[in-house]
Amino acid sequence: MSESQRITLAVQRFHPEQDAEPRWQRYAVPYTPDMSVLEGLQYIKDHLDGSLTFRWSCRMAICGSCGCMIDGEPELACHVFLRDYAPGPVWVSALDHFPVQRDLVIDQSDFLEKLETVHAYLIPAGERTAAEGTYRQTPEQMTDYYAYAQCINCLLCYAACPQYGWHPDFVGPGALALLQRYNLDSRDAGSELRHAVVDAEQGVWSCTLVGHCSEVCPKGVDPARAINQNKPGSSARYLLDWLRPGRRRQEGSE
Amino acid sequence: MSRARVYRPTMRGWWERHPAYRRYLLREGSSVLLGLYALWLLAGLLALAAGEAAYQGWRDLHGSPWLFGLHLAALLAAAYHAVTWFRLLPLTLPVLRWRGRRPTDRAVVRGAWVVSVALSGGVWLYLLGGVR
Repeated sequence: MSESQRITLAVQRFHPEQDAEPRWQRYAVPYTPDMSVLEGLQYIKDHLDGSLTFRWSCRMAICGSCGCMIDGEPELACHVFLRDYAPGPVWVSALDHFPVQRDLVIDQSDFLEKLETVHAYLIPAGERTAAEGTYRQTPEQMTDYYAYAQCINCLLCYAACPQYGWHPDFVGPGALALLQRYNLDSRDAGSELRHAVVDAEQGVWSCTLVGHCSEVCPKGVDPARAINQNKPGSSARYLLDWLRPGRRRQEGSE
Repeated sequence: MSRARVYRPTMRGWWERHPAYRRYLLREGSSVLLGLYALWLLAGLLALAAGEAAYQGWRDLHGSPWLFGLHLAALLAAAYHAVTWFRLLPLTLPVLRWRGRRPTDRAVVRGAWVVSVALSGGVWLYLLGGVR
Protein backbone atom coordinates (compact mmCIF):
# COMPACT_ATOMS: atom_id res chain seq x y z
CA MET A 1 0.00 0.00 0.00
CA SER A 2 1.60 3.21 -1.14
CA GLU A 3 0.90 6.35 0.87
CA SER A 4 2.10 8.60 -1.93
CA GLN A 5 -0.85 8.00 -4.26
CA ARG A 6 -2.91 11.12 -4.85
CA ILE A 7 -6.21 11.73 -6.56
CA THR A 8 -7.94 14.98 -7.41
CA LEU A 9 -11.41 15.53 -6.00
CA ALA A 10 -13.33 18.21 -7.90
CA VAL A 11 -16.01 19.21 -5.41
CA GLN A 12 -18.99 21.43 -6.06
CA ARG A 13 -18.97 24.39 -3.71
CA PHE A 14 -21.87 26.72 -3.03
CA HIS A 15 -21.95 29.35 -0.32
CA PRO A 16 -25.48 30.73 0.01
CA GLU A 17 -24.28 34.19 1.01
CA GLN A 18 -21.41 34.55 -1.45
CA ASP A 19 -22.18 32.50 -4.56
CA ALA A 20 -24.90 33.08 -7.16
CA GLU A 21 -24.44 29.51 -8.35
CA PRO A 22 -22.21 26.52 -7.55
CA ARG A 23 -18.55 26.45 -8.58
CA TRP A 24 -15.96 23.66 -8.71
CA GLN A 25 -12.97 23.48 -6.43
CA ARG A 26 -10.18 20.94 -6.77
CA TYR A 27 -8.30 19.23 -3.98
CA ALA A 28 -5.40 16.79 -4.25
CA VAL A 29 -6.07 14.03 -1.75
CA PRO A 30 -3.60 11.26 -0.76
CA TYR A 31 -5.43 7.96 -0.70
CA THR A 32 -5.04 4.28 0.06
CA PRO A 33 -7.00 1.51 -1.72
CA ASP A 34 -9.37 1.10 1.22
CA MET A 35 -10.51 4.76 1.25
CA SER A 36 -14.06 5.64 0.30
CA VAL A 37 -14.99 8.89 -1.43
CA LEU A 38 -16.50 9.98 1.90
CA GLU A 39 -13.10 9.50 3.55
CA GLY A 40 -11.64 11.65 0.77
CA LEU A 41 -14.13 14.41 1.63
CA GLN A 42 -13.30 14.02 5.31
CA TYR A 43 -9.59 14.34 4.51
CA ILE A 44 -10.33 17.63 2.73
CA LYS A 45 -12.34 18.93 5.67
CA ASP A 46 -9.72 17.87 8.25
CA HIS A 47 -6.54 18.84 6.42
CA LEU A 48 -7.20 21.11 3.41
CA ASP A 49 -10.38 23.17 3.76
CA GLY A 50 -12.48 23.15 6.92
CA SER A 51 -15.28 25.07 5.22
CA LEU A 52 -16.32 22.16 2.98
CA THR A 53 -19.82 21.13 4.09
CA PHE A 54 -21.40 17.70 3.67
CA ARG A 55 -23.60 15.28 5.60
CA TRP A 56 -22.44 11.93 6.86
CA SER A 57 -22.90 9.67 9.83
CA CYS A 58 -22.53 5.88 9.76
CA ARG A 59 -19.85 5.36 7.05
CA MET A 60 -21.44 1.98 6.23
CA ALA A 61 -24.33 2.60 3.81
CA ILE A 62 -27.10 2.39 6.35
CA CYS A 63 -27.85 5.94 7.54
CA GLY A 64 -28.42 7.36 4.05
CA SER A 65 -26.85 10.74 4.86
CA CYS A 66 -23.89 11.02 2.48
CA GLY A 67 -25.73 10.76 -0.85
CA CYS A 68 -24.22 12.92 -3.59
CA MET A 69 -23.51 12.87 -7.31
CA ILE A 70 -20.17 11.20 -8.01
CA ASP A 71 -19.08 11.43 -11.64
CA GLY A 72 -22.72 12.17 -12.50
CA GLU A 73 -24.08 9.10 -10.74
CA PRO A 74 -26.13 9.29 -7.52
CA GLU A 75 -24.08 7.40 -4.93
CA LEU A 76 -23.55 7.11 -1.20
CA ALA A 77 -20.08 8.62 -0.78
CA CYS A 78 -19.27 5.92 1.80
CA HIS A 79 -20.27 3.16 -0.64
CA VAL A 80 -17.74 3.87 -3.42
CA PHE A 81 -13.96 3.81 -3.32
CA LEU A 82 -11.51 6.45 -4.50
CA ARG A 83 -9.39 3.73 -6.16
CA ASP A 84 -12.21 3.03 -8.63
CA TYR A 85 -12.04 6.62 -9.90
CA ALA A 86 -8.25 6.71 -10.39
CA PRO A 87 -6.55 8.56 -11.96
CA GLY A 88 -9.36 11.08 -11.40
CA PRO A 89 -10.49 13.74 -11.07
CA VAL A 90 -13.53 12.55 -9.12
CA TRP A 91 -16.43 14.94 -9.69
CA VAL A 92 -18.48 15.29 -6.51
CA SER A 93 -21.60 17.46 -6.41
CA ALA A 94 -24.84 17.78 -4.47
CA LEU A 95 -27.67 15.34 -5.21
CA ASP A 96 -29.44 16.35 -8.41
CA HIS A 97 -32.98 17.80 -8.44
CA PHE A 98 -32.84 19.17 -4.87
CA PRO A 99 -32.31 22.73 -3.68
CA VAL A 100 -28.69 23.11 -2.51
CA GLN A 101 -28.26 24.76 0.88
CA ARG A 102 -24.48 24.72 0.96
CA ASP A 103 -21.79 22.73 -0.88
CA LEU A 104 -23.04 19.10 -0.85
CA VAL A 105 -25.91 19.68 1.57
CA ILE A 106 -29.36 19.58 0.00
CA ASP A 107 -32.71 20.56 1.47
CA GLN A 108 -34.63 17.30 1.85
CA SER A 109 -37.71 18.81 3.55
CA ASP A 110 -39.80 18.24 0.40
CA PHE A 111 -39.24 14.49 0.71
CA LEU A 112 -39.97 14.50 4.43
CA GLU A 113 -43.27 16.28 3.84
CA LYS A 114 -44.21 13.73 1.17
CA LEU A 115 -43.24 10.85 3.42
CA GLU A 116 -45.81 12.08 5.91
CA THR A 117 -48.59 11.87 3.31
CA VAL A 118 -48.14 8.22 2.25
CA HIS A 119 -49.20 6.55 5.52
CA ALA A 120 -45.94 4.58 5.70
CA TYR A 121 -46.86 2.62 8.81
CA LEU A 122 -48.91 -0.49 9.60
CA ILE A 123 -52.65 0.12 9.72
CA PRO A 124 -54.17 -3.13 11.05
CA ALA A 125 -57.74 -4.10 10.17
CA GLY A 126 -58.77 -3.92 13.82
CA GLU A 127 -57.41 -3.15 17.24
CA ARG A 128 -55.97 -6.13 19.12
CA THR A 129 -55.32 -6.45 22.78
CA ALA A 130 -52.03 -7.80 24.08
CA ALA A 131 -53.88 -10.91 25.22
CA GLU A 132 -54.85 -11.68 21.62
CA GLY A 133 -51.16 -11.92 20.70
CA THR A 134 -49.02 -10.50 17.94
CA TYR A 135 -49.85 -9.97 14.28
CA ARG A 136 -48.36 -13.05 12.69
CA GLN A 137 -46.88 -13.45 9.24
CA THR A 138 -45.22 -16.26 7.30
CA PRO A 139 -41.72 -15.83 5.80
CA GLU A 140 -43.38 -16.27 2.39
CA GLN A 141 -45.73 -13.34 3.04
CA MET A 142 -42.76 -11.27 4.17
CA THR A 143 -40.99 -11.72 0.82
CA ASP A 144 -43.76 -9.67 -0.84
CA TYR A 145 -42.54 -6.42 0.71
CA TYR A 146 -39.12 -7.20 2.20
CA ALA A 147 -37.09 -5.50 -0.56
CA TYR A 148 -39.11 -2.29 -0.19
CA ALA A 149 -38.56 -2.31 3.57
CA GLN A 150 -34.81 -1.86 2.97
CA CYS A 151 -35.21 1.83 2.05
CA ILE A 152 -32.89 4.13 4.04
CA ASN A 153 -34.34 7.43 2.73
CA CYS A 154 -31.03 8.38 1.11
CA LEU A 155 -32.82 10.09 -1.82
CA LEU A 156 -30.50 8.70 -4.51
CA CYS A 157 -33.63 7.59 -6.37
CA TYR A 158 -34.96 11.17 -6.46
CA ALA A 159 -31.65 12.33 -7.89
CA ALA A 160 -32.03 9.65 -10.59
CA CYS A 161 -35.59 10.65 -11.50
CA PRO A 162 -35.92 13.28 -14.25
CA GLN A 163 -39.68 13.34 -13.66
CA TYR A 164 -39.04 14.56 -10.12
CA GLY A 165 -36.63 17.13 -11.55
CA TRP A 166 -39.31 18.37 -13.93
CA HIS A 167 -42.26 18.04 -11.57
CA PRO A 168 -41.29 18.52 -7.93
CA ASP A 169 -44.94 17.79 -7.03
CA PHE A 170 -44.36 14.10 -7.90
CA VAL A 171 -44.48 12.08 -4.67
CA GLY A 172 -41.43 10.31 -6.06
CA PRO A 173 -39.77 6.87 -6.01
CA GLY A 174 -38.66 6.64 -2.37
CA ALA A 175 -41.93 7.66 -0.71
CA LEU A 176 -44.01 5.55 -3.13
CA ALA A 177 -41.79 2.51 -2.50
CA LEU A 178 -42.41 2.91 1.22
CA LEU A 179 -46.13 3.25 0.54
CA GLN A 180 -46.06 0.00 -1.42
CA ARG A 181 -44.04 -1.67 1.35
CA TYR A 182 -47.07 -1.30 3.65
CA ASN A 183 -49.66 -2.01 0.94
CA LEU A 184 -48.04 -5.42 0.38
CA ASP A 185 -47.79 -6.29 4.07
CA SER A 186 -50.27 -9.03 4.96
CA ARG A 187 -50.80 -7.43 8.40
CA ASP A 188 -51.82 -4.12 6.87
CA ALA A 189 -55.33 -3.05 5.91
CA GLY A 190 -54.64 0.57 5.02
CA SER A 191 -54.39 0.28 1.21
CA GLU A 192 -57.65 2.12 0.70
CA LEU A 193 -56.38 5.07 2.72
CA ARG A 194 -53.31 5.21 0.44
CA HIS A 195 -55.35 5.12 -2.79
CA ALA A 196 -55.75 8.90 -2.77
CA VAL A 197 -51.94 9.29 -2.94
CA VAL A 198 -51.46 6.47 -5.47
CA ASP A 199 -54.23 7.54 -7.87
CA ALA A 200 -53.41 11.25 -7.92
CA GLU A 201 -51.67 12.89 -10.85
CA GLN A 202 -48.67 13.42 -8.54
CA GLY A 203 -48.84 9.76 -7.46
CA VAL A 204 -47.87 6.76 -9.57
CA TRP A 205 -49.06 8.44 -12.79
CA SER A 206 -46.24 10.97 -12.72
CA CYS A 207 -43.86 8.03 -13.21
CA THR A 208 -42.96 7.25 -16.84
CA LEU A 209 -40.72 4.32 -15.93
CA VAL A 210 -37.38 5.83 -16.75
CA GLY A 211 -36.26 3.12 -14.32
CA HIS A 212 -32.97 4.70 -13.28
CA CYS A 213 -34.16 4.95 -9.64
CA SER A 214 -33.97 1.17 -9.30
CA GLU A 215 -30.49 1.08 -10.84
CA VAL A 216 -29.00 3.56 -8.38
CA CYS A 217 -30.65 2.28 -5.19
CA PRO A 218 -27.85 1.13 -2.86
CA LYS A 219 -30.24 -1.18 -0.98
CA GLY A 220 -31.89 -2.95 -3.94
CA VAL A 221 -35.32 -1.48 -3.21
CA ASP A 222 -36.52 -1.29 -6.86
CA PRO A 223 -38.83 1.75 -6.53
CA ALA A 224 -39.74 1.58 -10.25
CA ARG A 225 -41.39 -1.77 -9.59
CA ALA A 226 -43.08 -0.56 -6.39
CA ILE A 227 -44.63 2.36 -8.25
CA ASN A 228 -45.70 0.53 -11.37
CA GLN A 229 -47.19 -2.41 -9.48
CA ASN A 230 -49.87 0.10 -8.49
CA LYS A 231 -50.85 1.10 -12.01
CA PRO A 232 -53.19 -1.83 -12.88
CA GLY A 233 -55.16 -1.34 -9.66
CA SER A 234 -55.23 2.42 -10.07
CA SER A 235 -56.49 2.03 -13.66
CA ALA A 236 -59.22 -0.33 -12.47
CA ARG A 237 -60.34 2.17 -9.83
CA TYR A 238 -60.38 4.95 -12.42
CA LEU A 239 -62.50 2.81 -14.73
CA LEU A 240 -64.92 1.91 -11.94
CA ASP A 241 -65.24 5.57 -10.99
CA TRP A 242 -65.93 6.40 -14.60
CA LEU A 243 -68.63 3.74 -14.80
CA ARG A 244 -70.23 5.03 -11.60
CA PRO A 245 -70.36 8.81 -11.88
CA GLY A 246 -72.14 9.11 -8.54
CA ARG A 247 -69.16 7.65 -6.72
CA ARG A 248 -66.70 9.90 -8.46
CA ARG A 249 -68.64 12.99 -7.43
CA GLN A 250 -68.64 11.78 -3.84
CA GLU A 251 -64.88 11.33 -3.78
CA GLY A 252 -64.26 14.57 -5.61
CA SER A 253 -66.20 16.52 -3.00
CA GLU A 254 -63.88 15.51 -0.15
CA MET B 1 -24.52 40.27 4.45
CA SER B 2 -27.34 39.05 2.21
CA ARG B 3 -29.96 36.62 3.41
CA ALA B 4 -29.14 32.88 3.23
CA ARG B 5 -30.80 31.25 0.24
CA VAL B 6 -30.65 28.00 -1.71
CA TYR B 7 -29.48 27.18 -5.21
CA ARG B 8 -32.18 25.51 -7.31
CA PRO B 9 -30.70 23.35 -10.07
CA THR B 10 -32.30 23.47 -13.52
CA MET B 11 -33.18 20.62 -15.87
CA ARG B 12 -31.38 22.22 -18.82
CA GLY B 13 -29.68 19.52 -20.91
CA TRP B 14 -30.94 16.80 -18.57
CA TRP B 15 -30.60 14.02 -21.14
CA GLU B 16 -26.85 14.73 -21.36
CA ARG B 17 -26.41 13.82 -17.72
CA HIS B 18 -26.76 10.05 -18.00
CA PRO B 19 -26.92 7.34 -20.69
CA ALA B 20 -29.97 5.89 -18.88
CA TYR B 21 -31.88 9.06 -19.75
CA ARG B 22 -30.91 8.76 -23.41
CA ARG B 23 -31.94 5.10 -23.47
CA TYR B 24 -35.28 6.19 -22.02
CA LEU B 25 -35.72 8.83 -24.73
CA LEU B 26 -34.85 6.26 -27.41
CA ARG B 27 -37.39 3.82 -25.96
CA GLU B 28 -40.17 6.39 -25.81
CA GLY B 29 -39.11 7.96 -29.12
CA SER B 30 -39.47 4.64 -30.95
CA SER B 31 -43.22 4.91 -30.42
CA VAL B 32 -43.30 8.02 -32.65
CA LEU B 33 -42.30 5.92 -35.66
CA LEU B 34 -44.89 3.32 -34.66
CA GLY B 35 -47.52 6.08 -34.54
CA LEU B 36 -46.50 7.32 -37.99
CA TYR B 37 -46.78 3.79 -39.35
CA ALA B 38 -50.26 3.45 -37.82
CA LEU B 39 -51.27 6.71 -39.53
CA TRP B 40 -49.92 5.39 -42.82
CA LEU B 41 -52.00 2.20 -42.43
CA LEU B 42 -55.03 4.36 -41.61
CA ALA B 43 -54.40 6.35 -44.81
CA GLY B 44 -54.40 3.03 -46.70
CA LEU B 45 -57.69 2.06 -45.09
CA LEU B 46 -59.27 5.38 -46.05
CA ALA B 47 -57.94 4.94 -49.59
CA LEU B 48 -59.53 1.49 -49.67
CA ALA B 49 -62.85 2.99 -48.59
CA ALA B 50 -62.52 5.69 -51.26
CA GLY B 51 -62.39 3.14 -54.06
CA GLU B 52 -60.17 0.90 -56.09
CA ALA B 53 -58.27 3.68 -57.87
CA ALA B 54 -57.39 5.47 -54.63
CA TYR B 55 -56.25 2.20 -53.03
CA GLN B 56 -54.11 1.33 -56.04
CA GLY B 57 -52.59 4.81 -55.82
CA TRP B 58 -51.72 4.26 -52.14
CA ARG B 59 -50.15 0.90 -53.02
CA ASP B 60 -48.14 2.40 -55.89
CA LEU B 61 -46.55 4.88 -53.49
CA HIS B 62 -44.76 1.94 -51.90
CA GLY B 63 -42.27 1.80 -54.78
CA SER B 64 -40.55 4.92 -53.42
CA PRO B 65 -37.20 4.27 -51.70
CA TRP B 66 -38.09 6.93 -49.10
CA LEU B 67 -41.15 5.03 -48.07
CA PHE B 68 -39.18 1.79 -48.02
CA GLY B 69 -36.67 3.43 -45.70
CA LEU B 70 -39.45 4.68 -43.43
CA HIS B 71 -41.00 1.22 -43.31
CA LEU B 72 -37.65 -0.31 -42.42
CA ALA B 73 -37.10 2.31 -39.69
CA ALA B 74 -40.62 1.66 -38.36
CA LEU B 75 -39.94 -2.08 -38.31
CA LEU B 76 -36.71 -1.61 -36.35
CA ALA B 77 -38.44 0.83 -33.98
CA ALA B 78 -41.28 -1.66 -33.47
CA ALA B 79 -38.81 -4.45 -32.70
CA TYR B 80 -36.88 -2.26 -30.24
CA HIS B 81 -40.07 -1.01 -28.63
CA ALA B 82 -41.38 -4.57 -28.27
CA VAL B 83 -38.16 -5.80 -26.65
CA THR B 84 -38.10 -2.94 -24.12
CA TRP B 85 -41.84 -3.22 -23.52
CA PHE B 86 -41.63 -6.90 -22.63
CA ARG B 87 -38.55 -6.28 -20.50
CA LEU B 88 -40.50 -3.75 -18.40
CA LEU B 89 -43.64 -5.89 -18.23
CA PRO B 90 -42.77 -7.63 -14.91
CA LEU B 91 -42.45 -4.23 -13.21
CA THR B 92 -45.99 -3.25 -14.15
CA LEU B 93 -47.72 -6.37 -12.81
CA PRO B 94 -49.17 -6.71 -9.33
CA VAL B 95 -47.58 -9.39 -7.11
CA LEU B 96 -48.39 -12.68 -8.85
CA ARG B 97 -48.53 -16.13 -7.33
CA TRP B 98 -48.67 -19.40 -9.16
CA ARG B 99 -48.91 -22.61 -7.13
CA GLY B 100 -47.82 -20.68 -4.06
CA ARG B 101 -44.73 -19.26 -5.76
CA ARG B 102 -43.99 -15.95 -7.40
CA PRO B 103 -42.88 -16.36 -11.02
CA THR B 104 -39.46 -14.90 -11.82
CA ASP B 105 -39.22 -11.85 -14.07
CA ARG B 106 -37.58 -14.00 -16.70
CA ALA B 107 -40.51 -16.46 -16.66
CA VAL B 108 -43.01 -13.60 -17.03
CA VAL B 109 -41.10 -12.08 -19.95
CA ARG B 110 -40.73 -15.45 -21.66
CA GLY B 111 -44.42 -16.23 -21.12
CA ALA B 112 -45.38 -12.89 -22.61
CA TRP B 113 -43.21 -13.55 -25.66
CA VAL B 114 -44.76 -17.01 -26.13
CA VAL B 115 -48.30 -15.59 -25.95
CA SER B 116 -47.36 -12.74 -28.28
CA VAL B 117 -45.75 -15.04 -30.87
CA ALA B 118 -48.70 -17.45 -30.67
CA LEU B 119 -51.25 -14.65 -31.21
CA SER B 120 -49.23 -13.05 -34.01
CA GLY B 121 -48.78 -16.47 -35.62
CA GLY B 122 -52.52 -17.08 -35.35
CA VAL B 123 -53.32 -13.80 -37.09
CA TRP B 124 -50.67 -14.59 -39.72
CA LEU B 125 -52.17 -18.03 -40.41
CA TYR B 126 -55.67 -16.53 -40.57
CA LEU B 127 -54.54 -13.93 -43.11
CA LEU B 128 -52.73 -16.56 -45.22
CA GLY B 129 -55.90 -18.64 -45.18
CA GLY B 130 -57.92 -15.60 -46.22
CA VAL B 131 -55.64 -14.91 -49.18
CA ARG B 132 -55.94 -18.43 -50.43
